[in-house]
Formats: sequence, structure tokens, C-alpha cells
Amino acid sequence: MTPLQFEALYQGEWQELETLLQGFFRMRRSAAAPAARQGERLATLYRRVCEQLALARARSYPAYMLDRLEQLTGAAHQAIYQRREFGLAAVKRLVSLDFPATVRAHAAYVLLAAALLLVPMLIVGLLVYCRPDLILSVVDARTAASFEEMYSPTAESIGRLRTANTDWMMFGYYIMHNISISFQCFAGGLLAGVGSVFFLVYNGAIIGAVGGYLTEHGLGTTFYPFVATHSAFELTAIVIADAAGLRLGHALLLPGRRTRLDSLVSAARRCAVLLYGSTAMLFIAAGIEAFWSSARWLPPGVKYGVAAACWLAVLGYLTFQGRARAA
Amino acid sequence: MTVDVLDTVVTAETPEGILLELRPAGLSSRLYAFAIDWLIRLLALYFIAIVTGPLGGVGAAAWFILYFLLEWFYPVAFELARAGATPGKRLFKLKVVMDDGLPITPAASVVRNLLRAADFLPMLYGVALVSMLSRADCKRLGDLAAATLVVHEPRATPKRLLDAVVPLAPAHALEPRDQAAVIALATRAPFLTSDRLDELAALAASVAGRDSRPGPELTRRVLGVAEWLMGRRS
Repeated sequence: MTPLQFEALYQGEWQELETLLQGFFRMRRSAAAPAARQGERLATLYRRVCEQLALARARSYPAYMLDRLEQLTGAAHQAIYQRREFGLAAVKRLVSLDFPATVRAHAAYVLLAAALLLVPMLIVGLLVYCRPDLILSVVDARTAASFEEMYSPTAESIGRLRTANTDWMMFGYYIMHNISISFQCFAGGLLAGVGSVFFLVYNGAIIGAVGGYLTEHGLGTTFYPFVATHSAFELTAIVIADAAGLRLGHALLLPGRRTRLDSLVSAARRCAVLLYGSTAMLFIAAGIEAFWSSARWLPPGVKYGVAAACWLAVLGYLTFQGRARAA
Repeated sequence: MTVDVLDTVVTAETPEGILLELRPAGLSSRLYAFAIDWLIRLLALYFIAIVTGPLGGVGAAAWFILYFLLEWFYPVAFELARAGATPGKRLFKLKVVMDDGLPITPAASVVRNLLRAADFLPMLYGVALVSMLSRADCKRLGDLAAATLVVHEPRATPKRLLDAVVPLAPAHALEPRDQAAVIALATRAPFLTSDRLDELAALAASVAGRDSRPGPELTRRVLGVAEWLMGRRS
């Protein structure tokens, strides 16, 4: 069969598939499912065009024809095998099952990350509490003074400088700053995990230093009610994002029986769920930090109560949500 | 028969056993695309600043949040949209796909774009540069972890028939490979200078009869054979 005969014979099918695909990709935008009969026809035509492409290649038909067939096959392949992960159902599944279950599946990484944050925090916190001048080895004098101003009992809103004036602005700032940190923790995993370890230890040490310094200066009464509530979401979320980074680092360092690349790819695919959840938690944390934690008119007792409820809710959610019911 | 070719084509096998060819985009086109996207983001931030500036606290919140979203999720949003590419990539006809040629999944898009933070190290995408230059498929770390590929969108080769040429039966039977070579020469004919075309046609002189000497006449006959092989008979 000559190329022209081949083309004349199958031209009709190719055009039909082309129009079907055009309609299909246009429909994807309006999220309407393609009619069943159309989908059937699409699958049939796809299989046939696959065969025709194989034939055309084996017979070394001219490039323009191979290109056209390859494009058709590629587009139909994309239309038929695409994965749909969008939609409210996916979000619901993520919240009710995937996220907490994935966190539990990575419990070892999460606990390690928590230790990487808490141990330096406590050590540096105690050190600074005992010898306040050590704060100067973590931050410079002006920053230390600004901490005092932020948490002084006379401050208009707790936890911020006078120059930063509104709750809304701080809400935006917390989102940008905190979520960027969590993303860096995750990306740091690609440096054989060193980046993830560094970010956590560093942030833990800073938080510990500030806490110890303020406690020693007698400002604990404003500092702890401020941090108690949103830290339930914020610290947990950072720890989870960092656990994802540690998992990447582990996959790279100890790939087991897979190739390093293969092990990295499958680790990254699973870790994406951790990032979705962690990011959502950081949005919640930013809202609480900006509008609730900083409020001066709330008595510390109320804040501690709400904080305890939040911690219980977060830990309970991560531990129990989506578990199979015991028989 | 396998031949080592200086080509970067990546093949992805479909469940039907067909090999789809993906052409990974090289460093330069990706760099241009990145520069365009960077400019677009810069302009967007400029206009956002103009709008949110006078709005006080809420405006500042909007500024921070939009800045954050542009910084991290600008590529994600565009890659998950229909085109599968940011405006910069679309300008240079690039597209992000999975290693198997399928549209990029949300998880992969998030992973490849968040890992930019690692690619950026130690400065100005240093790690990404090294990774892209050392691999034939030009992947940066984010692409490696997410199993994605930045490819050139396939371009159709226009069909060119040489209507002016009279079809001519070949002087002897031709192997499929030789047939393909003669046809390929004919499809390239419009892009070649006439001297070069004569030179190449001379290599295929035997298909056009024995007593041919290189020159326009022989070329016309070789092209005629190509037309005949394509299936034209008159």
C-alpha cells in the first residue's frame, strides 16, 4: 500500500478523531462528562489510530503523516488516560482520610521532626533563661529589644511592633512568611535531608531563645497566652512539612532496592498530601495568630482554655481521624 | 538495530504498546520562558501594589497573600489549567507533562514547583542549572522528584506534494528503507537550494535509470520516483 492510498483509506477516521478530541478538550473546561457513546467511539478510534501509527512507522511513511498520527495518538492518549484529582469530593477525602492517614503512615518522620524542633527549643530556651545575655549570640541587640516591645504588657496588640498596625496586615504577613518556611523545610529534604534538619533546628533554637529571654524578663504572662493557640496549628504544620522533607532525604540516602531516582519519585508523590494538609493548617494558624492570639482584651485564662482545645483537636484529628473502626 | 544518535528524544510507552516521542526542552528555551514569567510576575506585583497600597490593613493583607501565591503557586495554577504551561512557556511552545506523556497531576505540579526552593540553591538556580546541563532530558531537581518533563509541543510538518513533477516508476525494486529515504528527500526538496538538491539526488541516481548524469534533469526524475512511491501514478 502506498502512503497516499493509506492516507485516503483512513483520512476519514483521523478527521473524526480530531473533531472528537477538540470537542472533548473544550468540554473539559465546563466539567461536563463526555457522552458515553462518544467516549466509546473515542476509545475505538484511539485504538485504531495506534495500530495505524505502528503500521505507518513500520512502513517508513513520510514524516508529515507520521507526525500527524503521532499528534493524534498523543492527544487521544492524554484524553483517555488523564487522571482527575480535582473537585470537592477529592478535598473531602483529603481532609477526612488521606491527610491524617498519611501523617500516621509517616509517624516516625513526624516524631523525628518534632524532636528536631522541640529539643533545640527546650535546650536553647533553658540556656537563655539561665543566662539572658546568650540571646545576643542568636539575634542582635536591636532585635532582642524589639521582642521586648512586642510582648510588653503595654503593647497595643501582642506579638508585633507598633509600626505594623492592623490584624489584617499581619494575617497576610503570617501566611507569606510561615508557609514559605514550611515549603523551604520540605525542599530542604532534597539536600539529602540536611536542609530539613537545619531549618527545624534553627527555628526551634530561635523560638526557644525568644521564649527563654522573655520569660526571664517577666514577660511570660503576655508571651505564652499569645503563642499557645496558634502554635497548635503552626508548629504541627511545620513539623509535618518537615517530615515530608525528611522522607525525601531518607528516600535519597537509603533507596533500598530501588534506584535513587525511583525511590525519590515515589516518596515525593506520597508526600504531596502532607504538604496540602500542612499548608491548610498554616492558613488556619495565620488567621488565629492575627485575629485571636494578638487580641489584648481576651483574658489569658480564656486563651489557655481555647489553646488546650485546639491542641487536643489537632492531635486527636491526626491520631484518630479516618482510622478503620475496630470490629 | 540501535544507533546512538545525538538526539534527546524521550520515548513514553502507552498501554497500547505505542511509543510516543517527547522532545524535552533545552536550557535556553526554558530560560527565556522563565524570564518572561518573571517579568509577568513583576508587572502583576507592581499593579497589585498600586491597587492595594491605598487600602490600608486589608490591602496589606491582600498584598502579602497575593505575593505569596504568585511566588509559589503561579506555575502550579497555569500548569493545571488546560494549556499545561505558564504564559512564558506557552510563548515558547513548551508544556509540562508527566514522564509518560500524560497531563501533569496536581500532586506532581505542587512537588515540582515547591522544590524550586532546592533548585534555587546556592543562588540563582545553581543546582537546577547543573542538573539541567548534565541530563539529556534537561530536568531540574523538581522535575526529577515529580517525574515531570518540560517538552516542546509537537509541531505538524506541513504536507508538501510536488504537483509539478511527473511520477516515474523506479528503475529497480527498492527496499522499504530506500523508499523512505527517497520520499524524505522529496519532502525536504522545498527547503534545499537547487545545487544541494542536485547533489543529494545524485546519491539516488540508480533509482532513476542507468544513464543519468547529476543535474536538474536527474533531480526531477528522482523526485518523480518519490512521487510514484508516494502513490501518484499520473
